[in-house]
Amino acid sequence: MRFALDVYRRLLAVQIRAQLQYPVAFALDLGGTALILIVEFGSLALILQRFEGIGGWSLVEVAFLYGMVEMAFNTMDMLFSGFDPPVFGRLVRQGQFDQLLLRPLGITLQVLGSRCETRRLGRVVQGGLIFMLAVGLVDVRWTLLKLVYLPVVFASVVSFFGGLFIIGSTITFWTVESIEAINVLTYGGHEMMTFPMTIYNDWLRRFFTFIVPAIFLNYYPALYFLDKPDPFNLPPFAPFLAPLAGGGILAAALAFWRFGIRHYASTGS
Amino acid sequence: MSRIIVVSNLQKHFRVFKHRRGMGGAFRNLFSRQYKVVRAVDGVSFQIRPGELVGYLGPNGAGKSTTLKMLTGLLVPSGGELWVNDRVPWRERQAHVATIGAVFGQRTTLWWDLPVIESLDLLQYIYKIPPHRFRRNMAEFRKMLELDPFLDTPVRSLSLGQRMRADLCAALLHDPILLFLDEPTIGLDVVAKERIRQFIRHVNRERGTTVILTTHDLSDVEKLCERVMIIDQGRLLFDGALDTLRERFGGKRALVVDFAQEYDDVTVADAQVIERDGRRAVYQFEQEVLTASELIGRLSARYRIRDLSVREPDIEATVRRIYEERLLEG
Repeated sequence: MRFALDVYRRLLAVQIRAQLQYPVAFALDLGGTALILIVEFGSLALILQRFEGIGGWSLVEVAFLYGMVEMAFNTMDMLFSGFDPPVFGRLVRQGQFDQLLLRPLGITLQVLGSRCETRRLGRVVQGGLIFMLAVGLVDVRWTLLKLVYLPVVFASVVSFFGGLFIIGSTITFWTVESIEAINVLTYGGHEMMTFPMTIYNDWLRRFFTFIVPAIFLNYYPALYFLDKPDPFNLPPFAPFLAPLAGGGILAAALAFWRFGIRHYASTGS
Repeated sequence: MSRIIVVSNLQKHFRVFKHRRGMGGAFRNLFSRQYKVVRAVDGVSFQIRPGELVGYLGPNGAGKSTTLKMLTGLLVPSGGELWVNDRVPWRERQAHVATIGAVFGQRTTLWWDLPVIESLDLLQYIYKIPPHRFRRNMAEFRKMLELDPFLDTPVRSLSLGQRMRADLCAALLHDPILLFLDEPTIGLDVVAKERIRQFIRHVNRERGTTVILTTHDLSDVEKLCERVMIIDQGRLLFDGALDTLRERFGGKRALVVDFAQEYDDVTVADAQVIERDGRRAVYQFEQEVLTASELIGRLSARYRIRDLSVREPDIEATVRRIYEERLLEG
């Protein structure tokens, strides 16, 4: 285990050093993504100000949702870059995946270590800034439990999206044509989580409650952190289901991934 | 006698999705899929002793790469048995690949953006190579493969030949007992090819590493391998010494004759005209029936000859004949 972690650290170091070989490109990437986020959130803020909030949520409360998702999603996007489905699909088609299988290391570890998009760091930091701004303005009544639960929610959102990435990559063992289906969940889920659930119609909300339990990852924990009432009357433990939802998706994804590897070994394509 | 590889009745069948053509076909593809079974490897058996250097030949799509992928543990066979170094490769992938080295043609095992030396350092760590062994191997390979001029160059900036040398070094640093090479000289110039061949021979003779190489370039086989296996359409057509192959299927020698003037009829007894182009004619003859000098005698008695040369049957033509005429079937 210690060896595995150390190898992972070294593989990541390779990726980071490779990206730092082009410092100008790296800086431009960071700056560019910074601009996108500011424009994105700026336009959202302008709209929300005009309507004085959305679905009973004020601008700063939405910023709380938004900041958390941006932080966690982009952290995931950085750590799981190797599992980004189109990137992974290329790895398989170009035969580099076979090269990884020829090394005496676990394959999951190697795919994780095969890529690390450090430029996502820009969006992580900005998501963090928006989140901190929201926390400052909305005046959260902190308790010990809230302080402990906050990083758990963060990790759960990371696991959830990481799981979706792994599922998408595994699908590329069978077909590259169906990646869009999983992208709808990944990027749609990301988009959906930035807004309060009250703005969606019932079937969409039910889908994200019972089929893909994304509602428990950001919305319900936010209700708890901001001491807002639950409009859907779920049991009172609903805000605490985040680790179950995130961890569950990740575990299911890893099981599917193992199955996919076995399939790959029997077809080679 | 000990065997490092035992393959018996090895099979690999793929189900290939048959695409229907056109819009209507694409639509029907969505609902009912048709498959056909491709027998990429169809009952192959062979054994390899430690220290052998074996050439594995076959046209494109013959099943070479599929066999190699099973031997290296990347693919699970559909049937038959496969033991490499007393292991079933795919069952213990990590333990298996730690004892083998593999260079797969155009792909590199090295990290694209890292200087060569740092890739090698990383491999030392991954394969847990003891420092003294690493140093000793590096010293040997640096000299043999002339790595020094580009050790600090990132892999992406290397020429094809340099990359192949770096990859060979990378594949051998952990002292594998088996080395798999898929098209090791493809795309290289003559000098680079020769250097690679010398190195492969060195590794096989001095280190006792068992080597299996696939190639399109038959001069690789002629210069390196004593044993040849030929596969086509998933079946092993020949497995034996290169000399046997040449003797049995070497075909006929040919005499290329340039006449001093044009003749209408140039036929000679016991020899066959296989090419005719203006004043040039090529005769094929069998050594046992007619010697070259006898043929030349018969020709010069009847025609005025300007130039002559004997064309030896080459291994390439031999192998092509084996594929085309399916000489070894049945």
